[in-house]
Amino acid sequence: MDLNRKQEILSKLAEAVVEFEEEMAREWAHIALDEGIDAFEAIMMGLAAGMETVGDLYDKQEYFVPELLLSADALYAGLDILKPHIKKGEIKNLGQVVIGTVQGDVHDIGKNIVKLMFEVGGFEVHDLGRDVPLERFVEEQLKTDAEIVAMSAMMTTTMTGMKKVIEMIKKKNPEVAIMLGGAPVTQDVADLFGADGYAESAGNAVQEAIKMISSLRKLQKKT
Amino acid sequence: MVLTPKERVIRLFKREPIDTMPCFSGMGMVTIQVINEMNIRFADVHTSADHLARSAKLTADMFGYDAVVVPYDMCTVPEALGRGASLYQNSDEILYPTVPQKWEKIDDVVIPDDFLIRGRMPLVDQAITILKSETDGDLALGGWVLGPFTMAGQIVELNPLLKGVRKDKERTQAFLERMTDLVIEVAQHYQTLGVDYMNIREMGTGSDLLSPKVWENLIGPNLKKIFEKIEIPTINHICGSTDLIIEMMNECGADAISVDQKNNLTESRKKLGRDTLLLGNFDPYATLVTGDLSEVDPVIKKCIEDGADAVWPGCDIWPDAKRENVEAYVRAVREYGKKASPAVGRL
Repeated sequence: MDLNRKQEILSKLAEAVVEFEEEMAREWAHIALDEGIDAFEAIMMGLAAGMETVGDLYDKQEYFVPELLLSADALYAGLDILKPHIKKGEIKNLGQVVIGTVQGDVHDIGKNIVKLMFEVGGFEVHDLGRDVPLERFVEEQLKTDAEIVAMSAMMTTTMTGMKKVIEMIKKKNPEVAIMLGGAPVTQDVADLFGADGYAESAGNAVQEAIKMISSLRKLQKKT
Repeated sequence: MVLTPKERVIRLFKREPIDTMPCFSGMGMVTIQVINEMNIRFADVHTSADHLARSAKLTADMFGYDAVVVPYDMCTVPEALGRGASLYQNSDEILYPTVPQKWEKIDDVVIPDDFLIRGRMPLVDQAITILKSETDGDLALGGWVLGPFTMAGQIVELNPLLKGVRKDKERTQAFLERMTDLVIEVAQHYQTLGVDYMNIREMGTGSDLLSPKVWENLIGPNLKKIFEKIEIPTINHICGSTDLIIEMMNECGADAISVDQKNNLTESRKKLGRDTLLLGNFDPYATLVTGDLSEVDPVIKKCIEDGADAVWPGCDIWPDAKRENVEAYVRAVREYGKKASPAVGRL
């Protein structure tokens, strides 16, 4: 395939995400498949690359949460078309994630965006939803043997619940990586609670998730 | 001349000289020590007018605050609109009530004419009335209502609401105007019941979430309308990132601006000048819950040095605050608040 054409298609997929054009994302996802671009490459080098730009724009305070959500919709639109065409075994088995917002908290925007980025990255995501009783995180981790547990709390009062979950999970399986997210979560809090990573807002969560996806994209390029 | 706590607070809002800086807030201040002393559970405090009033008064007495504030949770209005309230009565955690069933989209929202007498609204009224009779002439009585956008986010799913800001501006604007009328109705109702000051908490609109441009077009005008309609002293409170919108916040016409620890207060003071009442801006969780006792004094001192006219927590004081830290907070306000602040002189 003509490399220029391939680059054009990937750029259009990225552009659709940055400009939050759902229809455009669908259209170029179909074009990508029709013209023989590998589905996983179209996701990682097109849609995810677009989300990386969105993250930069958020960082520069040009984009805010409404824009992130609209970009996420465009990404989903393309992903729905491309995902069924990923060749089996193509994605490295990255593992499983248990995700949810803790009991007492019904804010799930940050959680949903992080979930999307995990899905893009090829993780199997077990979404417990919002306002989730603490023991459900522990049960689900044990049931699925997930490598990552990602918890979000928007309200400070619900944050202490996360500490309990971390203790319960780490006691049973110290290898599980814990990611915390939400407005009141800081590096100090994450350290204090024994978490392995944190993000303080939906935007930061995206940034953190994008960093992860960026590393994956580099890995995919090498292989 | 020693003022009563209420006089101190009222005069602060009028920017008249006071004896010393009042220690108070426009958000929840109840702590677990009070809940324990009353021999109730935190989940029980929200469903009894007596518990609400008594806990607010005990909190002020225990720590020496200048004001009492009720209610503690943000679900009273959503509940009155029929959205329910999860009280977590079976949980061992200290959890604030949340709204279990938000409307999926703004078109679904129905505001009953009589919402002021539905759900726990009468219970809050009763608590205010009890506090008014028990504290009048001594403690100031604070009230608060969520701002229109934050209220909208409590009753409608946030995802469509936030996307509507970009994708469906006209309908979102019209809906926020409905929310503005609702907020005015509640605030005026509490004003009639006799609260001394009204905090409008539009906390879901900081620049972590919305762009300054959206704030200017969709948030500011509605807040302005609210402050025009309230006669008692008003506070425009927003937590999160406010550096980019602080000047617009000031143009909304509230008597005071309240910000949290993310605001650069020194810069805000420079931008707004010495006459604007600025309240803020310590992190109540880091300072009063997780922080060491020795960290409290410098944090409070810094707020005053940075130009706060009264040291307000950036949000509710978390119920599981350490007693000695809260005491140190009040002590530090008394100690460093003797001198005049930028907008308020001393007697």
